[in-house]
Amino acid sequence: MTEPITTTPAPITRMSAPGEDATRRAALVALFFGISAIASGYLAAFSAAGTPTWAAWLLALGIPIALSAIMILGAARGRRGIGPLKIPFAFVVVVLVIGFGAALALPATEGPLSTLWFGLPARAAIVIYGVGLLPVVVLPIAYALTFETQTLSAKDVERVRALALENQSAKENAAREPIDGRLGG
Amino acid sequence: MIRIASVSALLQVALPNAARPAVVAVGILYFAVVLGISVWAARRTRTAADFFVAGKGIGLVALTVASVSVSVSGFAFIGGPGFIYAVGLGAMYLVLPAAVTNVMGAWVLAKRMRLLGEARALITIPDAIGARYRSRGAQGLSAVAILVGIVGYMATNALAMGVVINSIFGVGLGWGIWIGMGVTLAYSASGGILAGIYNDVFQGTLMAVASVLVFLFVLNFGGGLGEISRTILAHDPTFLGPWGKLTPLAALSFFFVFSMGSLGQPQAVHKYYMLRDPLQLKWYPLLKTLGLVLVLLLYFSVGVAVKAFVLSGRLAPLASPDQATPVLLLNVTPIILAALVFSGVAAATMSAANSFINIGAAIVTHDLPVAFGRRVKNELSWGRAVTVLIAIAAAITAQRSGTMVAFLGIFGWGLFASTLVPALAVGLNWQGATRAGAMASIATGLIVTLALETAAYRKVFTFPAGVTASAVAMVSSFLVFFIVSWLTRRTAQTEIDPDVKLVMEL
Repeated sequence: MTEPITTTPAPITRMSAPGEDATRRAALVALFFGISAIASGYLAAFSAAGTPTWAAWLLALGIPIALSAIMILGAARGRRGIGPLKIPFAFVVVVLVIGFGAALALPATEGPLSTLWFGLPARAAIVIYGVGLLPVVVLPIAYALTFETQTLSAKDVERVRALALENQSAKENAAREPIDGRLGG
Repeated sequence: MIRIASVSALLQVALPNAARPAVVAVGILYFAVVLGISVWAARRTRTAADFFVAGKGIGLVALTVASVSVSVSGFAFIGGPGFIYAVGLGAMYLVLPAAVTNVMGAWVLAKRMRLLGEARALITIPDAIGARYRSRGAQGLSAVAILVGIVGYMATNALAMGVVINSIFGVGLGWGIWIGMGVTLAYSASGGILAGIYNDVFQGTLMAVASVLVFLFVLNFGGGLGEISRTILAHDPTFLGPWGKLTPLAALSFFFVFSMGSLGQPQAVHKYYMLRDPLQLKWYPLLKTLGLVLVLLLYFSVGVAVKAFVLSGRLAPLASPDQATPVLLLNVTPIILAALVFSGVAAATMSAANSFINIGAAIVTHDLPVAFGRRVKNELSWGRAVTVLIAIAAAITAQRSGTMVAFLGIFGWGLFASTLVPALAVGLNWQGATRAGAMASIATGLIVTLALETAAYRKVFTFPAGVTASAVAMVSSFLVFFIVSWLTRRTAQTEIDPDVKLVMEL
């Protein structure tokens, strides 16, 4: 069924290797702290006295931080950072923190006489419409509007294709080269 | 997104017999369309790349609808509404992450996966991990992790298919499994992922249409969402609280696992390779999110409305929460709408099975041999052969103990999330991640998930309310990834090939 695989040589290129930029470093630190907060929340739930109230708060803060951090990590573009995406990312963090925070902090007043917001009691409406629908309106549109400048342009695709072709021909040349030529150094 | 519960929900619910002439007729029509698409796709599948990634030639709309279809599964139609009926709005935390997951996946993975496919002609997720860390070991380990998750998913999806087909045609569970798996196999083995994608387009469209129609019907029947809420608030106000009957920790935990975990689901991530033109990614998150919102309308509306109808005496109390959708469809909605939804559920389970069969076949014929330094001579022929074997093995396993099969299905989502999210999603965006960090993280996810799920299944150990094995495994895997990468950071830059580095910097 199988035949020996030929070792793929590391592709050769002229590209330099810049270090991690400040935006990505900050996003990584935030991701680490977000995940650590969530882990602490879970750890607290194992307490013999039962789950403390603040355990849920750790998740309510850790989740928005971790999600926005990983999005920033993916969206950061070299030293340009995230550019205009700062605003939608900040918006989403605020919406998630306010949504979860309101659900945790506001008193439970749901009852037959509750005022309904678009058909739901206040706390449920904040979560369903705020957390569940507001990001739908903002994030994908921000992604599309900044796509060419922040995510991917035709020039970027051409660069990758050119490099792939270069690597392909380097591999083919290496395969054609006499073995003693390769060993000659 | 919600496949984790889809299977167990479909396994636990004894769906009522829906074999009415209209339901059977729509079911037969549905299977005829699926087979027609499969014959068409088989004629266009000539190479392994066609078979596993549709020759990287799928258009934006087709890929979006197909991706919605594999993301949702039958849970949105049966288990989800039942879960809302049981625990109230707390069940919404499984689907609320859809507001951010698609665009998050686009920023974090879509561009880099698609460009890696361009630069290296990659066809699988372990391929991407192998290329990122220049490591056959990391590729092999991630392949093993995915394969373990697929074993569970395939058996449970086969059983779920049997349950639904038995409900539609009344043929018995055993025959239901073989018929469902036979049809899925016919298109998986002949047309590979190309047949899968276009069947997913058909199935996703069917699901969206059925969901919107049921949503509109239910709101109209119940006098609007306000009236439905008033009825519930008069009897059971906690149901409409922000956490429903769950604890805040449990609800938030769902949100975490189903948002961050979405970045590691192979059936969705694998699709990034298939887009014909990488620049079409621009509209992918918007279209996919809107598609998901449409499909999930049924999830919310049926769960809440059936609760109100039962509380007001318009429907009899349910024997089990998972009866919410079938009881509503068979007693309240027009029969043609019931027929559409039942076919939609069959469609969802078959769509899921096809995706997993295809990914499993790619692992066996491509990733595992590569991990051992070998290459299969004819990946297309072997891919078809392994597809048949996986399907038959899944169908046979599904005929066995239901409890065991349910157990296999439970850990799939968490296993994919904990083994793949740090190494793949963070690793493709952080040049400081190391091969050792990735392998330690994948191993941690695999071991912690299997150990904790087995302990919980055998009742050796009980988690506190709100804590799940999936969540613990995912945070452990993240922390191990960061710590080991930091400890081995001197090797980081030397482990990235220049073309991969370019893709990571763009």
